[in-house]
Amino acid sequence: MKSKFYIYILSSLFLTLICVTGCDKSIEFSEDLVPLSPGNLDSDAASWSMILMTSPDQIAVPAPADVASDAYKAELATIKDAQSKITKGQQQTIDYWSGGGVLRWNQIFRGLVAKYNLPPAPRADGTYPAPDAENPFGDPMFPFSNPPYAARAYSYVTNSIYDALKAAWHFKYLYNRPAPYKVDDAVQALVPETDLPAYPSEDAVMSGAAAEMLKLLFPAALEEITKNAADQRNAALWSGKASTTDISAGLALGKSVAGLFMARARTDGMGAAGGNKAIWEALKLNASSRGDEPWVSLETPPRPPMLPVFNKVLPWKMTYDQIVAIRPAAPPLRGSAEMDSECDEVKYYTDNLTRDRLAIVHKWADGAGTYTPPGHWNDIAAEHIRDASFSEVRAARAFALLNMAMHNAAVACWDTKYFYFNARPTQLVPAIKTGTGIPNFPAYVSGHSTFSASAAGVLSYLFPTHSSDFEAMATEASMSRLYGGIHYRKDCEGGLALGYDVGEHIVETFAKVDGAD
Amino acid sequence: MSASVCGQTLTDGLMMPKKNLCTGFMYTHDQWTDYWEGELKRDNGNIGKITTQSLMWVGNYGITNKINVIAMLPYIKTKASMGTLQGMEGVQDLSVGVKYNFFRKKFEKSAFNTFAVLNFSTPLSDYTPDFVPLSIGAQTTNLTYRLTAYFKIEQGWFINASGGYTWRSNTTLDRPSYFDGNEFYTSDEVKMPNVFDVFVSLGYLKNGLQVELNYIQQNTLGGGDIRRQDMPFVSNRMNAIKVGALVMYYLPKPKHLAVRASTAFTVDGRNMGQSTTFMGGALYTIQFYKNQ
Repeated sequence: MKSKFYIYILSSLFLTLICVTGCDKSIEFSEDLVPLSPGNLDSDAASWSMILMTSPDQIAVPAPADVASDAYKAELATIKDAQSKITKGQQQTIDYWSGGGVLRWNQIFRGLVAKYNLPPAPRADGTYPAPDAENPFGDPMFPFSNPPYAARAYSYVTNSIYDALKAAWHFKYLYNRPAPYKVDDAVQALVPETDLPAYPSEDAVMSGAAAEMLKLLFPAALEEITKNAADQRNAALWSGKASTTDISAGLALGKSVAGLFMARARTDGMGAAGGNKAIWEALKLNASSRGDEPWVSLETPPRPPMLPVFNKVLPWKMTYDQIVAIRPAAPPLRGSAEMDSECDEVKYYTDNLTRDRLAIVHKWADGAGTYTPPGHWNDIAAEHIRDASFSEVRAARAFALLNMAMHNAAVACWDTKYFYFNARPTQLVPAIKTGTGIPNFPAYVSGHSTFSASAAGVLSYLFPTHSSDFEAMATEASMSRLYGGIHYRKDCEGGLALGYDVGEHIVETFAKVDGAD
Repeated sequence: MSASVCGQTLTDGLMMPKKNLCTGFMYTHDQWTDYWEGELKRDNGNIGKITTQSLMWVGNYGITNKINVIAMLPYIKTKASMGTLQGMEGVQDLSVGVKYNFFRKKFEKSAFNTFAVLNFSTPLSDYTPDFVPLSIGAQTTNLTYRLTAYFKIEQGWFINASGGYTWRSNTTLDRPSYFDGNEFYTSDEVKMPNVFDVFVSLGYLKNGLQVELNYIQQNTLGGGDIRRQDMPFVSNRMNAIKVGALVMYYLPKPKHLAVRASTAFTVDGRNMGQSTTFMGGALYTIQFYKNQ
């Protein structure tokens, strides 16, 4: 009897403990979006400077049918029918996209970068296969969305969304067709109402521009991309925001604008950025003829350097010569007293990697399997853009400015890295054991520092009250590379300076004069 | 059962008598070169051989003859023989468990016992979970409940079988987003799958000598696989099947001192290293109260 009693006590104790601690494992997400309700519709956005389009009406959008026409009334009937039998799943799709298409695509996009940011595995003979756009589902998968690839990709997607939205704004205010929920009282507004004209649908424009661009950049993610694009259009329809022709006109416009950017992407120099054996050898020779120790891969087996000809990829609103003109002066040579003391400092930090500094290293590492440093800055920007309640077109502008600067930062940083082709700290001092993986390219200047400063520069322009936060984050991201033993202080400081230069170029020559402010 | 037998683990069928404390230290040396990337077995020149050493304090106290409290606290140190990554070290998780011998049946020449164990463990230091395979733990608070059955015959032969289910809390990374092998999350919080384990041993225990062969299986109930050439991640589906052997000897002098050595070898796994483990330790029994 007594032992039975114990069993009851113990089993109830077990159950209590399990349920107190065990029932909830739900994760708190840092980037929840609320239904978008912009403070300003930016009705003049069609007059803002274009990135690549020659004018907002470069791609024609035919005039829509009148709202009094039978054809349009049939469209309204379709919406009302859909709304009368809306499912829970459809409601979730509406809620998801109500957070703002620009922000949602940015999130989706960061997820794709993280998923495809995986270096190819070596072959049995110790060589590495190159990811092949013609065989994206193979091993290795295509792309390997490393930081330069990601920086470029983020800029293409955000720029094509941005130009497409400005074109959409042009036709919206040219034709002034109201949203279905404004035309017919029987159409419910399942998202916050605005006075933004509905034709062509901005959601459909985004779905076309983003999906076409992403399918080029991440061909193996076709299914996920296409599904999201269709969801976004359906949400616009079901929510009473857009009719079938608002959507079809938007989709066609978005796809056409993406086509312009895709044509640029196919000839922007990315295809040749991997270089070849002859180029790799020439880089080595260049470094040794300067009297420095040429970079070698610290991976086993050694991996060819990452995208050594990325410097020749077209920058945005900047020329190759302008990139070369801001190239930092040479780093100290191996064996110099200055380099020895740089190495000593790195060694100090890796020998004394405190928990606080390790947290900083890991917070900013953004290595393989992550959305990369440019993705991290999109993440940072997204929260500010959300909190500012920007219109879709202004949100798109913010991401476009940010990502143009970071793409240019990638070009300028890669230009510097491969011009000098110098060694990482661990190559010079093998006893330096790092707190995160060493990227497979030369040290000077730090990519994280360049990306971060270019981003902080643009974000400080967009959100001036937070500029000191952005600069502090950029400095922390930069120093994380020294703490982790990945970079010398000179790499970090040089990268920050270069990044601020690049960011300033976009702010001064484009953002300040684009007509949006 | 001899009063000097020192029950030391959560999975065995041995108990400390009332007001007896068995305490000591165990040293563990574990190493692997090959590992399973998902289900693909490989080695990796960027890490070489991973060695994990630990020194663990263990204490088992008999509250009554039927209820024991077992506590453990390891200090762990990891190292990679190749590549550039730093090893990690530090105090890991404090584990406290209650073992309850809820059923005893004596036959003429044998005995059958069953045990229920509730074990709680929690990190005692702020080590990072986000540096697998060099991080020293998952930085989770765990709750395990376990049932064990033990059958022994008079000649000393025994068989022991134990099954445990471990609930693990979420863990927190130092970064604001991550890809877990399947999905991308905009959060620093990682959902950790629970773990099921089975432990079976067959052995001999008599006259101060304990010898056994054992089988250990661990299955993580969820989690992603390491993708081709990817880094492992803390919430990976980490499975392993190990076989091992254990010898424990209660020294005639000094009385109450026992030495223990064991080994285990991983025969199959998923998202884990194919490790070979050696463990050695000494345990001392203190009798606060003589009940016999």
